[in-house]
Amino acid sequence: MSAATLSDTGAVHRFRFGDYARYLGAAVFVGFCLFPFYMIVSTSVKPESDIFSFPPSWVFDITFENYHSALFVFGGSGVLPFLINSIIITAASTVLAVGLGSMAAYGLTRFKVVAGDHLFFFILSTRFAPPVAFIVPLYLMMQRFGLLDTHFALVAIYTSMNLSLVVWVIRGFFEAIPIEIEEAAQIDGYSRWQIFTKVALPLVKPGLITTSILSAILAWNEFLIATVITQSSSATLPVYLSSFSGSMGLEWGPYMAVGVMGVLPIMIFTLVLQRHLVRGLTFGAVR
Amino acid sequence: MSQKSEARWTATVLVSPAVLVLVLLNIFPIAFAVYISLRHWSLASPNPPRFAGDFNFAELLVDDRFFNSLWVSGTFVTLGVVIQLLLGFALAFVFNSKLRGLDTLRRLSLLPIMTMPLVVGLVWFYMLNENFGVINWFVTLFGSERLPFLTERTLAMLSIVLADVWQWTPFVTLVIFAALQSLPEYVFEAGRMDGLTEREIFFRITLPMLRPAIIVVLIIRAIDAFRMIELIFMMTKGGPGGATEVLPWYIYTTGFLSLDLGYAAAMAVTMIILVTLAAQVFVRQIADPGKN
Repeated sequence: MSAATLSDTGAVHRFRFGDYARYLGAAVFVGFCLFPFYMIVSTSVKPESDIFSFPPSWVFDITFENYHSALFVFGGSGVLPFLINSIIITAASTVLAVGLGSMAAYGLTRFKVVAGDHLFFFILSTRFAPPVAFIVPLYLMMQRFGLLDTHFALVAIYTSMNLSLVVWVIRGFFEAIPIEIEEAAQIDGYSRWQIFTKVALPLVKPGLITTSILSAILAWNEFLIATVITQSSSATLPVYLSSFSGSMGLEWGPYMAVGVMGVLPIMIFTLVLQRHLVRGLTFGAVR
Repeated sequence: MSQKSEARWTATVLVSPAVLVLVLLNIFPIAFAVYISLRHWSLASPNPPRFAGDFNFAELLVDDRFFNSLWVSGTFVTLGVVIQLLLGFALAFVFNSKLRGLDTLRRLSLLPIMTMPLVVGLVWFYMLNENFGVINWFVTLFGSERLPFLTERTLAMLSIVLADVWQWTPFVTLVIFAALQSLPEYVFEAGRMDGLTEREIFFRITLPMLRPAIIVVLIIRAIDAFRMIELIFMMTKGGPGGATEVLPWYIYTTGFLSLDLGYAAAMAVTMIILVTLAAQVFVRQIADPGKN
């Protein structure tokens, strides 16, 4: 890049010292953010002999042996069954949370619901409930109903954890729809329910996408409740990963390969959601 | 069906499933936690649970480990959130300057937010290893001895803070940056026309207008840092000697390693009360962004 660049006004803008300092600051920060990812990925393709070398080896023969053993061998069964559990539970809880959440958001925006405002704030406040405060009662409840170590238990819990986010973000989108559009549909003979599914929902598609991705991230990454509620048959990837903690002396290669599989799907999502990320993450407090 | 009754019926169908799920899996568990906390309820004991009155809560008041965990949590939250706010704030201004290429860098810096917290703990545990960790390689480059990052009290706390700062500084940057972008340009122009210096514009216009965003991000971060447990699980297990035993870790080990559910529930109830107080400020900010 040349030393001069076009600024917004089209005039030639000469780089000043401050600009170089900004580039430097941004570059150092991004390097700091990316370096651990480099460590995860590089360790996952390192031969065992290079993993423990000190100083760290920067040049090595790439091997995919670690991925094979992570998928099928490591820890008895490999990560594959847990990966499948994670996908099922994440998908089911996301669909449920976005479905029930957008229904509630629409109902509370467009109808006079008894104590509607209080309901809104009640729903928002559940976002702040610390999961660790729920593990004891949830464990006993699931035990009582014979739901320990079932997919259903985790799907239900993650749905409830994501509802507040969905209701709050989608509400902002519904409020932005001009009421006239829906009134016109009513005159055309649509029932209330049809207005919701055929008119309102398609108009808030960006909100549905945003909240789907954020809900999926929470469900995919959640560890504490999963480790308490599940044992093996419906345990998720984080539970599998955590089961080696404490006894991990040697198997860093497969370990990091599991880490890559835990992070990669979300990285792909991240690229998609950029635009609405802030609104979702701050409950619409910052747009 | 009349229009009015159709509306009522539709509203009920729309709202009640979500409310039902929240009542079953949010309200009821809190009430149940209160119930459990008032009982001697141990999975390790052969006796069935029995009423204990305020026994568990009285026990809390004389439990040094409980107060230690509150202190450790307070230290972790304060250190982590303050560093994240200062760093994230400065970087938001860096990214806000219209220089070519900065937007790509900004997008890349978002990746830590999405990373599974357990994997964050895993990779920092690996990098901070005393014997072969890459951070200790950097340390030796500067001529120092290798440092026991995870086995010395102060260093262990700082290591946990470092991993949390890595994951969440980009979040603060993201929110402040978005708030900066949404400020209308004419306000600054008016300020310049009134002859304000850049410094005066920053303190009298920019900073006050960013205030709601700063408060929102501060509260979200503080509450989320308070509940953090994954880094502890992967990096220190609360050690050495309780130096990183945050409240969630103490609750988790009390409930599921010591199997004393009554006592764990008493701590959980205490934690919910603390978080609810902090969340009130947030809810008010969202409900009425103009004030405050």
